[in-house]
Amino acid sequence: MANMAVSRIKREFKEVMRSEEIVQCSIKIELVNDSWTELRGEIAGPPDTPYEGGKFVLEIKVPETYPFNPPKVRFITRIWHPNISSVTGAICLDILKDNWAAAMTLRTVLLSLQALLAAAEPDDPQDAVVAHQFKDKHDFFLLTAKHWTNAYAGGPHTFPDCDSKIQRLKDMGIDEHDARAILSKENWNLEKATECLFS
Amino acid sequence: MDSDMEMELESDSDEEFNDDYDYYNTGEDCDVERLDPKRADPEYFEYDCLTVEDIEKLLNERVEKLNTILQITPALAKVLLLEHQWNNHVVVEKYRQDANALLVTARIKPPNCNKDQADAASTSAAAAAASTTTQLAKMGSYKNNTSNHSSSSTTTLSTTVSPQYRSQMCPVCASSQLGDKFYSLACGHSFCKDCWTIYFETQIFQGISTQIGCMAPMCNVRVPEDLVLTLVIRPVMRDKYQQFAFKDYVKSHPELRFCPGPNCQIIVQSCEISAKRAICKVCHTGFCFKCGMDYHAPTDCQIIKKWLTKCADDSETANYISAHTKDCPKCHICIEKNGGCNHMQCFNCKHDFCWMCLGDWKTHGSEYYECSRYKDNPNIANESVHVQAREALKKYLHYYERWENHSKSLKLEQQTIDRLRTRINSKVMNGSGTWIDWQYLFNAAALLAKCRYTLQYTYPYAYYMEGGSRKNLFEYQQAQLEAEIENLSWKIERAETTDLGDLENQMDIAEKRRTTLLKDFFPLHA
Repeated sequence: MANMAVSRIKREFKEVMRSEEIVQCSIKIELVNDSWTELRGEIAGPPDTPYEGGKFVLEIKVPETYPFNPPKVRFITRIWHPNISSVTGAICLDILKDNWAAAMTLRTVLLSLQALLAAAEPDDPQDAVVAHQFKDKHDFFLLTAKHWTNAYAGGPHTFPDCDSKIQRLKDMGIDEHDARAILSKENWNLEKATECLFS
Repeated sequence: MDSDMEMELESDSDEEFNDDYDYYNTGEDCDVERLDPKRADPEYFEYDCLTVEDIEKLLNERVEKLNTILQITPALAKVLLLEHQWNNHVVVEKYRQDANALLVTARIKPPNCNKDQADAASTSAAAAAASTTTQLAKMGSYKNNTSNHSSSSTTTLSTTVSPQYRSQMCPVCASSQLGDKFYSLACGHSFCKDCWTIYFETQIFQGISTQIGCMAPMCNVRVPEDLVLTLVIRPVMRDKYQQFAFKDYVKSHPELRFCPGPNCQIIVQSCEISAKRAICKVCHTGFCFKCGMDYHAPTDCQIIKKWLTKCADDSETANYISAHTKDCPKCHICIEKNGGCNHMQCFNCKHDFCWMCLGDWKTHGSEYYECSRYKDNPNIANESVHVQAREALKKYLHYYERWENHSKSLKLEQQTIDRLRTRINSKVMNGSGTWIDWQYLFNAAALLAKCRYTLQYTYPYAYYMEGGSRKNLFEYQQAQLEAEIENLSWKIERAETTDLGDLENQMDIAEKRRTTLLKDFFPLHA
């Protein structure tokens, strides 16, 4: 069984390497070890989304039963998205769960994840906090997502206001990531974030 | 429980009697003599307890019947019946109306394929389906079949047209093999035999059987039973598949219900699909036939589910209030309730009080038992949100406390029965009466449990009831039942000093109150 998994992965690896997307630098894939059980993927943030300009790294683990069970994929790069956990990077996507089909490939997975970045589904959230912001305070969502893309994925937009607020919390001895997470959750209200941290 | 069963047997034989000798029934007095149990007893329920073999036979009969009518394979018939609650008529009707649409909704055929065959829709659909199932969808034969029927071949075929000897690439294992190693369903996605087999085994391992689908992305065409059973050779996996499939079949059949008893293999069958109590003849588990949960009359299935979820969610608060002890309202000594009756007598100061409201028992009287009714605060609309929230919690706690209290009393009364048994034993040993003389006490205890059970389930019902005259009536009847049950409980606990006639009278009253309440409010008859 494992043999089939390896031969499939080898072939899919080549497929990604030969694909058009790799020429356009929108997806990338590389090996982590020689056993072909773990790979590292990378997708570019789609244009006209808050993720534009960012590069998002993915951890791809291939199970023994691949391709009859889906690969286990999560974001290593931190990302602010309703269907992706802002804490663990876990992904809520149907094709990685029930709707996986044995004939799908790594390339389809990467392209589907890219499509997920472009079209979030806040009604089927992985991260309830982000989904709530996406629905109720969409402006704050766009700001936060762009800021996270800049901070973690090398995105182009900088937000001095956000950075200074994070710095304020850092001065109080808070870890930078924790400060960013709590401010993002509280719609960048410094007072509320402080209250939340110290109460 | 036993008396229930007897009643049922009796009524069964009655009916047989009626069927066979109808002319006996023409006499005028017969109607008076024989009350129809369906009308007299709101809980009357006819059902059978069947074994797995019985059910397999029953399902197979349905399958065969459909086979002969529609000339389709058993595997296809099973899928169609599964999708239509095992209703033969519906399947036949839909098949005759639009076989293609039926096969698409049953996920035998992919949607919007072969539109060109409108002329021969039913025949080709049947043939295509038959070929996928009987001939195991072997690539070559399936392809030939379809192209015979339609001269204007579909585009999907062009990719799969390959003679059996030409090698072909399997998109799953990425290996090239000869064409005859490939299988495909009606959707035309073909994969090699080994891949199908491993795929089936991984799916079965995850408990999936009748819902196994094609391996192609975005294709949800279903894999029928016979393809799975041809390719999966390992006996363990075959058995598992058949067990899981059987479960799916029973669950999709509205007239069948697995007995929820632990490790019980019995399946209960009834033509009346309602929330009535079925009691398994093997493990004696009683449950609601409709939802399979504990029997819950007069509350209906949705409400009891809502209530139980609510109770589970609020368990912390509920734990707090369901503390087992209360203080005596007079001398304030701490009392643990160790019997079922709510009429408490403080062992310290001999004060009689009600366990529920801690009020004096004398004021409870026999006329009206106030304690089961929740009094709404009439000014609620004017109060602040905070007060309203507190009021809502108070209301819930009121009903929850009573629900929980009866549930505990039921358990405590089991102990009462055990004590009763030892007491009777010693009496019999001392020569005062025989075992049979004291039997009535057990009957009384069983009836008490039955009444208390119903009473317990009236509280979720009342909680979700809209205010108004109907609720007033319900709570009045509930209070009456509550009062009679407490009387009965009190009398059973003091059986030696209670007159037999008095006790039997009390039993009769309590049971009457119970059936009256069920007749008026059991949702089936509303």
